[in-house]
Parts: sequence; structure tokens; C-alpha cells
Amino acid sequence: MNKRIVYCVLGFHAVVALLAPLLPLAPTDEQDPGAMLQGFSAAHWLGTDALGRDVLSRALHGGRPSLVIALLATALAAIIGVALGSLAALAGGWIDEALARLIDFLLAAPTLILLLLIASFFGHDPFILSVTLGLMYAAPIARVARGSTQVLLARDFVRVARLQGGRGVNLLFGEVLPNVWRVVLTEITMQFTWIILAFSSLSFLGLGASPPTPEWGLMIAEARSYMTINPLSVITPIVMLASLVLAVQALVDRE
Amino acid sequence: MKNLARRVLFTLGAFVSLGVLSFLGIDALPGDGCTALLGRFGTDAKIAECREEHRLNDPVVVRLGNWANDVVHGDLGYSIKRDEQVAQIVLPRIRNTAMLAVVAALMAFPSAIVAGLLIGRYPHSRTGRAINTLGVLAMTLPEFVIATILWLVFSIWIPIFPGVTVVPSNATVLELLPHIWMPALTLAAVVFAHSMRTMKAGVTTIQTMPFVESARLRGTKERVTLLRHILPAALPPVVNTIAVDAAWLLTGTFVTEAVFNYRGLGRLAIDAISDRDTAIILPIILFGLGVYLTMSLIADMVVRLLDPRLKQQRS
Repeated sequence: MNKRIVYCVLGFHAVVALLAPLLPLAPTDEQDPGAMLQGFSAAHWLGTDALGRDVLSRALHGGRPSLVIALLATALAAIIGVALGSLAALAGGWIDEALARLIDFLLAAPTLILLLLIASFFGHDPFILSVTLGLMYAAPIARVARGSTQVLLARDFVRVARLQGGRGVNLLFGEVLPNVWRVVLTEITMQFTWIILAFSSLSFLGLGASPPTPEWGLMIAEARSYMTINPLSVITPIVMLASLVLAVQALVDRE
Repeated sequence: MKNLARRVLFTLGAFVSLGVLSFLGIDALPGDGCTALLGRFGTDAKIAECREEHRLNDPVVVRLGNWANDVVHGDLGYSIKRDEQVAQIVLPRIRNTAMLAVVAALMAFPSAIVAGLLIGRYPHSRTGRAINTLGVLAMTLPEFVIATILWLVFSIWIPIFPGVTVVPSNATVLELLPHIWMPALTLAAVVFAHSMRTMKAGVTTIQTMPFVESARLRGTKERVTLLRHILPAALPPVVNTIAVDAAWLLTGTFVTEAVFNYRGLGRLAIDAISDRDTAIILPIILFGLGVYLTMSLIADMVVRLLDPRLKQQRS
């Protein structure tokens, strides 16, 4: 995809997510019993859903819950993952072996069912969801951080730094991170999109955002039954979600 | 061989410890079989009585021991909520999910290998690029979006497949078959691009390697070069991708099954979770762990068999 289009789409999503409450839109939970499942009109540009709520307004607000949760969770996953992975590689020996097994272990954990369990038992609390997601998605980041740190440690300049007495955190911030951040950041960005998808899947299944919150996954779930009457109510959140995820992925795609 | 033994040992160890962890984790969640059965209308006395009857008051270590003993002897336990043996609930669902997985795998993997081989060999073909783009789209979008789009196209605009499964969970294979295409197509679309892209990347690097050049210079036919020289060298990494995807097809299909109301393991997991029926959730998690670990073990072994370079190292 053309980079310029990618930046435009990302910019659009950032502006909309930040400014949606300030824009002159219909309230997201205002029901209009006289205008249910309408197509596009002057009052409702993208029509209304089954409760007569404005689709455009809900779609523009609909990314906010996922973005807040995904940003929090990704930050947590990145901190844990990078620390775990690169410190394991730096430490070497049995510590590295043990941490590598721990990472394998975490990768084997069945993510979605654990997520469903936690969401179901602890309710829709966004904080708990972000922490859970952050812990779950740390393992793949740790694996990449460990792998790329290991490659780097064999390079001469790192060996020199080691011989000069650099170790631990100094070596991490001085030599390792400045050189691996590009690869690791790519992985973090990929995980960011997986987290968005995981959260919207949860909402779609009724365990993420709770009604009447406008959220894309939830909107698609609610509107699916009425798809033949007003296709816009389903297509709009699909386009919003798809454009965000595809743009983020295109940003890091190395092809 | 020593490596293999270590690998098997690690797999077993991981399975047992993750199993114990899951038991303890689920035990720590608020609610148990009795609260699930009696719901919010159960008085404290009734719940206490039910817990006494099903021996839920024993210390957690004792219950873990009993449960592990039962599982080893082939008894998956008993669902208080559904008043049924867990095996009778779970096994038909595993069969349904396995059928769905097989159909999806047959749709996705062979075509992905062929497509990857051809797109890697002829990167400038228009059809190849279109297939690549579509595959990447399907890989990136969430399943419920793909399912919704396919549903819109194949059940509403061109109504050739039924959109919702209405057969019971213990339906025969023939009764189930007409309802399998839509969920299978969704799952196939999700996994197709993974192995296709791995294959493509492999072919792209391999076809400039000396042994391929030499085959070409000897005047080998292009078809033979492609099938006898490039394909075998590009397959091993694809095996790993396929193993991960196959494990996912067997254990990760919650959303797709929910969308099409297909009565497999994923659908059951969602129902059990909203019922708080922990007796059913636990074997589903164990099944998932088992499948994932076994698949990565099998993939390792197949790669060893396929890749002559690793064979040399082994002896």
C-alpha cells in the first residue's frame, strides 16, 4: 500500500478518536423510534441501527474503547516483553534457558479462552482487560527481543563493550536497545493490531465493551441480524475497523 | 535422538504443569459448579448442601489429586450444571470441530502451497498479486468480519449456502456436512495466507541458489525444477506454519463457530464460560494445550524428516 495513504488513514483515525466527543455529531445513545434501520438521509448520513441510533456517530466513537485498551495493553506487553527477552539473552546461561522455557510456556497458553474466562468472571472492567491482554501478548515480543539481542551479542562492538566492563542495564540501554529497537518495534506494532482484534472479537461475543457503548465489534454483532435491511449499519463499522488494522499493519510491513 | 527425547519430555512437562495451573486458576475464580447450578436464586443453605454432596468442600489439593486421578483413568468428570458426564458433552463437540478443521485444512493448505510456489516463481503475474492481496486481507481482518462478508455474499446475495447451522450437536456426519461450508470457508480464508506467504518467501530465496541454477543449466525442464528441486527445499518452514494453523483450527475457532452457530468445541466453550460451568471449561483448556503441544512436536519431527541438512547433523 502507498505510504501516503497509510499515513492519511492513521491520521484520520487519530483525529477522529481524539476529537469524536467534540464533533457536531448526534449523541451515540439517542434512540429515534420513528427512524429505525433507515438508509442514508440528511439527518443520519449513514442511516440508523435497529434502535434508531445514528450509525455515523457511533462508528466515529467506536474506536475509542479499543484504542485506549490496546494502547495500555501494548505498552505493558512491550515493557514486560523487552525486559524479559533482552535480559534473558544478556544474562545467558541457566537464567536464559529458564526464561526461554518460560516464554515457550506462555506462548503455549490458549489466549482466547483465557481472555474469555477473565472477561466473563471479572466483568467489563477496561483496566483488568488491558492488564490481561498486556500480559498475554508479552510473550511473542519477548521471543523477538531475545532472538535479536542474541544475534547482537555476538557482534564485535558489543563484545568490546562487555570487555570494557559494561553489563546489565547499562549494556541494555547503551548497546542493545539502540540496535534492536527497530525489529522489536515492528513486533510490538503487530501485537498492537492483534490486541485490537482480540478486544473487538471479545466485544463481538458480548464479553468486551458492554451495550450501549459504541464499539465496532459490538456494533457489527448488533447489526448483523438486520444486515439485509440496512447494510450500512454493518458495513460502516467493518470499514472503520478494517482500515485501522490494515493501515497499522501496512506501516510495518517489510515487503 | 537425544534431542527428540528431551523435546518429548519438555512437552509432557509443559502439559502437566499447565494442566495443574489451569485447575488451580479456574478454582481460584469466583463461583463453582453449585453456584452455576443454583444461580442467584440459590440460598446459602442449598449451596452448602450441594457443595457437601459433590465434595467441593475438600481442600484444593485433595480435589486436584482426585481430578488428576480421574482424568488419567479416562474420566473427565461430571458437570453439576448440566447433570451429565463431561465426556458425553465434550466428545461430540470435539468430533464436530475436528470435521470443520479437516474441511478447512483441505480447502486452505494444498491450495496455499501451490499458490505460494507459483507466486514465488512468477512474482509479476497479475493473478498471483491479486491472490496475495486477498489472502493478506483475509489474514489481517478479524474472523467475524470475514464471516460477515462471506455470509453477506454467499447466503444473501447469492444464496448457495445456509448461513446458520440448525442441526443438533449429535447430528450424523451427513446431516452436518451441508452446514460446514460457510464456517470452513471462513477458517480457510483466515489461515490460507500464512502458509502461502511462507511458501512464497521460501521459493523466492531458493530459486537463486546454486543447486537450482545448476539444474537449470543442465537443461532440466522448468516443471521438473519447480517440483523436484524447489518444492522439497521450500517445504520444511511451511510445515511449521501449517502445524500452528492446524492447532488453531482445532482449538481457536470460538468466533467462527459462534457466528455460524456451529455446535463445536468453541461454541461449547463460550456457553460453558457464560454458564460458569467450570467442569466443562477445564477439559476444553486441556484439549487445547494438548493439541498445541502435540502439533509443535509433530512439526519438529516432520521438519527433521524433510530437511536433509538436519538429518546430517543428527547422525
